[in-house]
Amino acid sequence: MSEFTLNPISQPSASFSRSNSRSKFTTTRLKKITQVGIKSIFSHGLRSLLTVLGIVIGVAAVIAMLAVSEGASFEAQQQFRDLGATNILLKSVKPAEVEENSNSGFGPPQAIVYGLTQADITTIRDTIPGVSNVIASRIVKKNVWNLGISMNTDVVGTAVDYPSSRNYNLRAGRFFSETELRDHANVVVLSDEVANVLFPIDNPIAKSIKIDSDYYNVLGIMEAEGFSNLGQNQAGSSNSAPSRIFIPFSASKSRFGETTTRQTAGGMESETVELHEAIIQVDNQEMVIEVGEIIDQILQRRHKDEDYSIEVPLALLRQAEASALRDQIVAGAIAGISLLVGGIGIMNIMLASVTERTREIGIRRALGAKRKDIIAQFLIEAVILSGVGGLIGVVLGISIPFIISTFWGMTTIVTPIAPILAFSISAMIGVIFGIYPSMRAADMDPVEALRHE
Amino acid sequence: MTVIETNSDHGSSVNPRDVFAGELVASLQEIKKTYYMGALSVEVLHGITLEFYAGDYISIMGPSGCGKSTLMNILGCLDQPTQGKYFLGDEDTSKMEDDDLSTIRGARLGFIFQSYNLIQQLDVLENIEMPLFYQGYTEAESHEIAMGLAARVGLEDRVDHKPFELSGGQQQRVAIARALAVDPLIILADEPTGNLDSKSGAEILTLFDELHDQGKTLILVTHSDELAEHSKREIKLKDGRVESDERIHT
Repeated sequence: MSEFTLNPISQPSASFSRSNSRSKFTTTRLKKITQVGIKSIFSHGLRSLLTVLGIVIGVAAVIAMLAVSEGASFEAQQQFRDLGATNILLKSVKPAEVEENSNSGFGPPQAIVYGLTQADITTIRDTIPGVSNVIASRIVKKNVWNLGISMNTDVVGTAVDYPSSRNYNLRAGRFFSETELRDHANVVVLSDEVANVLFPIDNPIAKSIKIDSDYYNVLGIMEAEGFSNLGQNQAGSSNSAPSRIFIPFSASKSRFGETTTRQTAGGMESETVELHEAIIQVDNQEMVIEVGEIIDQILQRRHKDEDYSIEVPLALLRQAEASALRDQIVAGAIAGISLLVGGIGIMNIMLASVTERTREIGIRRALGAKRKDIIAQFLIEAVILSGVGGLIGVVLGISIPFIISTFWGMTTIVTPIAPILAFSISAMIGVIFGIYPSMRAADMDPVEALRHE
Repeated sequence: MTVIETNSDHGSSVNPRDVFAGELVASLQEIKKTYYMGALSVEVLHGITLEFYAGDYISIMGPSGCGKSTLMNILGCLDQPTQGKYFLGDEDTSKMEDDDLSTIRGARLGFIFQSYNLIQQLDVLENIEMPLFYQGYTEAESHEIAMGLAARVGLEDRVDHKPFELSGGQQQRVAIARALAVDPLIILADEPTGNLDSKSGAEILTLFDELHDQGKTLILVTHSDELAEHSKREIKLKDGRVESDERIHT
């Protein structure tokens, strides 16, 4: 207080330098300017809200889209991990031309012969380097019975390595052994779903189920899978059901025969398929895509018709990753445009605010505000506007993925980087689009500004 | 009626004005001001030389278009003369940079306008505090000073009111308190009673008389003889020159 009453004439330089040193930017000043800024924004509540809508939408869009695409890519990776990164999947597919032929004729239906054969598998196993194992399976649709309960399911005749090749685990019991495979044993492993349907109360292990006229001893139950839908429809109707049971390959061949008959809308239809699917395991993940191409070439040479499909999960994973990246770029562009529009909105309203408050600027300048004080005031106001918009956007952007997950069951992942990034960008937009209006405010002539009505 | 404290300064025991009353606070030397409008140039002030002393009560009069407002703007460091020198204290302001002009305005001058020019979003206290804020006073300091001044102009029970909740006379008293906040060298008042009814106007003039009695230096710009009657020295302008400069009361 003694400084305050300094004699301004006898010690002018002392009093002048005091006010110079004190007018530096302090946190108190910043606090005061911020308070004034918040006051002026809230005095035009609706206008401010509409102004920041662009920023809100932009920020929310960035976060939500990133969360959805992150979730999708996580889900895809999960699926491919289930299929196995070192696996190549082969499936028999009924060729299109054969289908036409069989439908056009009268008389007893002829058995259509198509698909993968044991010879194909032997060739692949013996000639291609890097192939460590091939697990071939036959899939036959059958009614399966436990006393009075029955269900229609895929009976997969396969090898002992099947669960490990697909990363499947057993919930209870065990998978069948080499001996049982060699002996054409009547043993079965149930999927979780089939076990639940056929044995709603009691433990199925060591019980038996009936397929056609034979009884099979239940050895084990598979764990419920996060079942992959990927590529299933390409392989025909027999593969679309997630419920399966597993019996030794040898047993499937000797009990069901090579030709299967099924009822279709047009009549009876018989087909002879030696193998329905095969999983080819490759030593090394780097070689998978290359081996896949070689197998495709070999099979093309060996098969007249396109009666097989080849699926390399790793290649599909790469594709999925590429498409996820593309999604993210598109999302980024949309969000970028939205933020740009939001920024322009803020600039527009700040320019209006500067014009509206010309007189206030004049008053402040007359009372000792420097240009930089005026710039700071309007810049902080712009940053508060965009910051509040960004904050609302972050809240929305986090809740939208949550709503999507809850109501559509889609996996969404909000990584912490997304809200931080989106919020920083919105604050930056406040600075960038606030600079010009603030400069205009600061460059006003105080005399003119005071005269403004 | 307004209760006005005759207590000298904001909390200080010695009135600093007593020490240098009568000293030179501002001097204008051959001030010329020319406005340029495209190719056209109009000289509004044709060389004005004046000296102002501490504790004086001066009125600047003249018909409209005589250069009153221009002179007022130059005195208030809101505008720069085209030629000549303007010393405020012992500093030549005529060649100052924009930032230094802002500082000197904030530190050495108090403004009172015809239309009060209070900031509508801010309450009475915040309006009075504003010049202190730009001078870098702490919140506690400026709060204390502003409360003292609000009391001094009789508005201590209205400090949290917004300007639009006050009468014209009350708003002008807030403006006077704001002008006193930094304890300026000169208080510049531009038609301070122009928007007021006669009763409120009389109150403001009484307040000015009291400020003069306390040793404040007041410059009143007006075209009203009635107002000028209150001052001690009357300067009349005509066509951008000083027509007369006389002491009317002693």
